Order: sequence, then structure tokens, then C-alpha cells
Amino acid sequence: MNSTAKLPVTVLTGFLGSGKTTLLNRILTEPHGLRIAVIENEFGEVGIDHELVINAEEEIFEMNNGCICCTVRGDLIRIIGSLMKRRSQFDHILIETTGLADPGPVIQTFFVDDDMKEKLALNAIVALVDAKHILHHLDDNDEAVRQIAFADVIILNKTDLVSPGALDLLESRIRAINGVAKIRRCQRADVPIESILNVGGFNLERAVGMDPRFLEPEYPFEWGGILMAPAGTLSLDASENPDPSMTAVIFPASGTDELALAAARDHAVAAFAATPKGADPGTRLSADGIPHDLLLTRSAMNWTVDIPTAGPLAIFTQHHPEELNLRFLTANGQLTPAVAAAYKPDHTHDEAVTSVGIESTGDCDGKKLDAWLSQLLREQGANIYRMKGVFAVAGDPDRFIFQGVHMLLDTANGGPWGTRPRRNSLVFIGKNLDREALNKSFRTCLA
Amino acid sequence: MPGVTDHGAPTAAPKMLEMKSANHLMPEQWHAQLDDYLIDLRWSPDGEFLAALPATGHPCVFSATGKPVISLPEHLGANGSLTWSPDGHTLASVGLDAVLRIHPLADPAAARSRPLPPGWIERSAWNADGSRFAVAIGREVHIFCPLTMESVWCIVGHASTVSDLVWHPVLPDKLATASSGGIRLWRIGQDRPIGILDNGSAAMLITWSPDGRWVVTGEQTPSVSLYDTRKREPLYIQGFQSKIHAFAWQSDPSPDAPWLALGGGSVITVWPCFGKNGPRGVRPIQLPGHLREVTALDFPITGQHLASGGRDGLVLLWLPHHSDQPACIARRDEEISALRWSPTGVHFAYATASGHLAVHSFLARS
Repeated sequence: MNSTAKLPVTVLTGFLGSGKTTLLNRILTEPHGLRIAVIENEFGEVGIDHELVINAEEEIFEMNNGCICCTVRGDLIRIIGSLMKRRSQFDHILIETTGLADPGPVIQTFFVDDDMKEKLALNAIVALVDAKHILHHLDDNDEAVRQIAFADVIILNKTDLVSPGALDLLESRIRAINGVAKIRRCQRADVPIESILNVGGFNLERAVGMDPRFLEPEYPFEWGGILMAPAGTLSLDASENPDPSMTAVIFPASGTDELALAAARDHAVAAFAATPKGADPGTRLSADGIPHDLLLTRSAMNWTVDIPTAGPLAIFTQHHPEELNLRFLTANGQLTPAVAAAYKPDHTHDEAVTSVGIESTGDCDGKKLDAWLSQLLREQGANIYRMKGVFAVAGDPDRFIFQGVHMLLDTANGGPWGTRPRRNSLVFIGKNLDREALNKSFRTCLA
Repeated sequence: MPGVTDHGAPTAAPKMLEMKSANHLMPEQWHAQLDDYLIDLRWSPDGEFLAALPATGHPCVFSATGKPVISLPEHLGANGSLTWSPDGHTLASVGLDAVLRIHPLADPAAARSRPLPPGWIERSAWNADGSRFAVAIGREVHIFCPLTMESVWCIVGHASTVSDLVWHPVLPDKLATASSGGIRLWRIGQDRPIGILDNGSAAMLITWSPDGRWVVTGEQTPSVSLYDTRKREPLYIQGFQSKIHAFAWQSDPSPDAPWLALGGGSVITVWPCFGKNGPRGVRPIQLPGHLREVTALDFPITGQHLASGGRDGLVLLWLPHHSDQPACIARRDEEISALRWSPTGVHFAYATASGHLAVHSFLARS
């Protein structure tokens, strides 16, 4: 390795029992060709003789009167400082945190300490998640939520212990917390090592590419479609019940193309705002845009809808139909939607920790952007766990990239825009974020 | 534009073009190439030998004229520290393999070793009379008798890892430690510290002034804490460009001494530490000249020539009380990792991140 190149660092987090040690042992024993120095907090957990496994006591340095951003890991500063003097011996540093650790101080260490910033590049924060037990932890443990919120890669481990439907729900809930992390499902921590060690730091376009809906607005439904329904009776049949109930609205649509679906989507958003009416299996549903709360109480369920005249019929559902094995049946057989779309839901859980994405065309005014970011971080930095973004700044042919943790911000020149369309893409992951206010305030930065 | 101050970049136009060379005053005498980053250089008290400690590989001892004298066994994993006994007869080394080795220079075959408790071990020091040797291991400091290799005391009670330690320059039973929580002063045999300066800081480096008055720590923040052991008063200096990577004491035996040089960023500051108030309320001498962080500083034991090395690869010579214009001793394309004047002031050595070691003579002292 070039001695002047920044050394990549990967941070491995995960709640107790999530499989960190299994993954660590795999990383240290598989023939990936990298020499990895491991800094672990739980002495002796790695069960192999490896001279580059270093035990560290987790020592938090509070540098500035309790400011949340100024807490760093003193042990890491000391140990990595020494490791950098023998960097010819290894190619990568991997830091394992304790299961109960707040990842904030670990990550802040790489933003705050000048020596660390100069010599190291944060490759990725990898969070291991026990698919069987994480929901319980998410409900009662802030650190589990923070570990997911801070992650670039989330490894959903032990997937063999839960059903596919439950996995989908879990992933949906994780996605609601962290909309940009790469999620990988696996058993026994068996993921390609390069997916952990070769993430290459923050890449918003990669994040957006993984989940094209991330920067879209959120909707109270996950799915919507328009059926060309014949006159008569339409039956909604379901055979799975991932939740106790699911809200759905049904109403006539203006057509069967995407334009009609977009219009129907906006109508559905308003319809979902009303209080839904409970609907036991076997009851009739109206097709007038009134929300129904389908009670998912059995293994086989159906509801019927009267269709007086043939025509396009819009149906919007809180969950994706596949989660319920939901089918649309008529006397002539199953109907397939003429047009349909999946939507980014906001209903999965009422998460305090969420992701907010902002997407905008148009160049930013550099000074306004500077002032906006400064004020934002000053006022809301404590609640912002991570932030990442690419800006197009007026008069600048290059992409302007930033990432940060809490009130700490690091910036870089992302190179020329070239033929790519100039645009601004931002994401904030944090607690009690106000999506509308963030979007509105960002637009004041546009030139 | 939004951004973070880059302390690694020069903040002003460098004076490189005008910088004069120190070759006429300090010509290079010899150089050597070791295998790894050179952590430290240590002259023997009589100035006849120079010990060089690489991060990994064999620590080496050279004569002042450049002849290899001995190659010491390396510590498995990495070397930690290498120090001369005050009488100059013995070297002690510790490392990440948790082994303490004592190497008699005259009889390498008589080297002795003993295991230490496991830990990240890279700080150790002899006391003033050579009767005790201290090693920082985690939150403890273990004190050994170098003759018997027996453990004679263990200092416990630090709330976090001991990041550095230093003995009193004269009193053989007093020791100071740096940790998160500031400075602690200890007397061997007493369980509790005899002095504490806890200003909430995370102390990383520690030094004790040659006159025994000041204990000084460089901290994780760009700041320095000074503890006046005579008055038992703390003093806090902040506003450096970056955290402190190097200290040096100028200790001329005059009433107007000592002076403390600090490398916090690319500008060296030199502070008077004498008189009633020491550096309190005083504007320091400022020495801009390096292009990046200063990583190493040293004054000769008796003399005013300050040598400095930095991440910019420059080795500079200063006369702080006379001029802020340095002369260039050497210019490398890599970080200067260590530098030391010989105790006699006749020789000067510097080392680099790739293991380059060079020794210059100082003609003004010859």
C-alpha cells in the first residue's frame, strides 16, 4: 500500500448476540488477501491466534463540556496512532464495538481528531442485526436504533429463524430508520467479505441507486394500482396476516395509465387521512374512497366490492399485496392491475429515528448553503446522527460532497459533474426530524 | 463554502525560498536506514551512543560516529519504548508482547527479561537515580527494580488508561501520570496521588520541567495544562492550531529559564516558565516556519538552539530568543518522526517515518 494513501477503517456494530464475533472470525480466516488489524472491545472473543487483534478498553473522552459531538474514543486515538507507525503491516483496520455501545463516539473520532482525519478513511459502518430478536430491541433500546441509524451496511443475520414475511416487515422497519444503508440478508453472518471491507465510504448515488424510492416523498400506503374491473362483484382474497389489520381505499379512477395512477395517488393520500372503518372478513367494502381497515384475523379471508358499472378502479393498500397474498378475483378469474406502483411508506412504525431525503434540481448559492448548514447543525445537530449529500453549487463545475455526524461536518470535492445532470441530493438520519421543514428550509439555499 | 479547517495545509505562504541552510553549521556526519517507522531516538547520557527504536524490527545502537554497536531483540507485535538508564550502562525496552528487557550495553549476553501484564505497552521510564523503572500498562503503572527485575509497586486508581508517564527530574520517588482526567502526581509507596490536576481534559503526553516545578500535559484538544507543583496551581493554555505532538525544555542554568517549546500545529510557541507566574499572562515567542504540524522538538541540555521536525519533512534550527528565521538542517519528503540533541550538544540526530536516520555534528559546539 502507498504509505501516503489513507488507510480504510471499518466499524462493526451490532447488538449483543447479533453475530459480530462470527463475522469477525470469518473476516480473519477467509482468504481475502487483506491484512486486517482488528481492534476489539471484548477481549478474547475472537477465537483465533492473530497477532493483529488488539484489545481496547472503551474510553470516552468528553472534550468539550459534554457536547455530544465532542465525545470521542480515546483508546482508538492512542491505538490507531501507534498502529499508523507500522502501517506497512496491514491494509485495513476493523473496529468492533461492544453490543451496547453508542456508535457515535467511534465515528466522531474520525471526524474530530485531525490525525485520524488525515490518515484514515472511514470505509463503512456495518451493523449486524439479529433478525429474530431485533424488533424487541428496537422497541426498548435506543442503542439498537442508533446502531442501525449510523450504519452504511446493515447485515440482517439469522434469517433462517424468521419467516419471509416477517423479514420483509423487519426490513421495512429498518428502512424507515435508515433509508440509505445497504441491507444484506444472511445466515451465520455469511456475507461476501468484500461487501463489508470494500464499501468505499459514502456514496450517495449508490445509496439512491439501491433504493430509488428513498428520495421520494413518503405515503401512507405501500402499493397502489388500477384494475379494469368488469361490472359485478370484485373479491379481495388474502391468506397472510403480517399485521392485525391493513388499511385500503377503493375508488373509481380516471384511466388506466400512469397519469391516472398519479392522480389516484394524490386522491388516496387525502383518503387515507380519514379514520378507517373496521371491516371483518366477509364484509362488503364500498368503492367510494372511504378507508377500510381490513381486519386480518384468519388464515383465509375475503372482502367483496360491488361494481355497478365496468371501468377503471383504483385500489391503494397499506401493505404490498404480496405480503398478504392478496388477489383480486371476479367471476371470470383473477384481475391483474393495468398499472401499479410501490410507494415509500411512512406508516411502518412511528419511528422517532428516521431518514429524510431531499432531492432538488437547480444550483445552490454557496453562501446561503453555508449559512443553512451552519444553522441547521447548530440547532439540530444533537438529533442528526448522520448526514450525507451532494450539492451543485452555482459557478462551480465540480460536485460538492459532504458528510457528517451530529454537528461535525466534513466536505470534499466530488470531481466534475461532467455529463451528469446537476442536482442536489441530501439525506439526514436522525431523531425527530421534520421532513417538511427540512425540505422547505433547504429550498432557501437555491440560487 | 461549508468546510472543515484543514490543519494539514499551510495557512500562509511558506518562507522556504528565503530559508537559509544550516549545512555550514550542522553538516551531516552519517546516516543509516532502518526497516520501519522510527518511533524514538535516545542518546546515551555521555553522548557516545545513539539508540534508535523502530516501530517493528530490531532496535539498534550506534556509536556517535555511526558504527553499529548492537542490534537488540525486537518485541513481538511492535516495539513500545527504549530508554537508557541514567548511568548509561543499560537499555530497557518494552513492547506489545508484554515483555520487559534489560540490556547491559557492555555484555549483551547478560540481557534479562520478565513478562508484564498484557496490555498496550509503549510508555516506560527510568527514575532519576536508575533504581526504579516504570511501565504504563492499561490503567496501572508497574514499578520494577531493574537490578532484580522484581515488581516493587503498582499504581492503581486511574479512571482510564495511563497515556504517558514521567519521573521527577531529580527526586527518585516521584512520578506523574497523564490520563483522561488530567495529571496525577504519585510518590512511590503511597496508594493515593499526592497531587491531582483534573480539569476534565484528556491528557495524552506529559513532561516535567528540568527544575521540577512544572508538570505539563498535551491534550486531546488543542490545549496544554500546566501544573505548578510549587504553588499547586493549574494553568491552561489553548488556541493552538492542533493538538500538541511535541514538547521541549530549554534549561540553561540561568535565572531566566526554563523555557517550554510547544508544537501545536505548524507554529512553534516558546513560553517562559520562570519567575513568579511562569507563562501566565505572557505572550509567547512564535516561530512560524513549518508547513505542516510540528512532530518533534528538542533543545540541547545547555544551549538555546531549538531543533524542530514536522510532517512537512523539514528539520529546522532556531534561535528563538534572537530570531524567528530558521535555518534548514534537512529537507525530506516524509514526516520527521523523532529528533534529539546529544547530551553534549555536539551531535544532533533525526529520524523519519520510513526509517531514515541521520546524524549531524554541531560545529558551534565542537
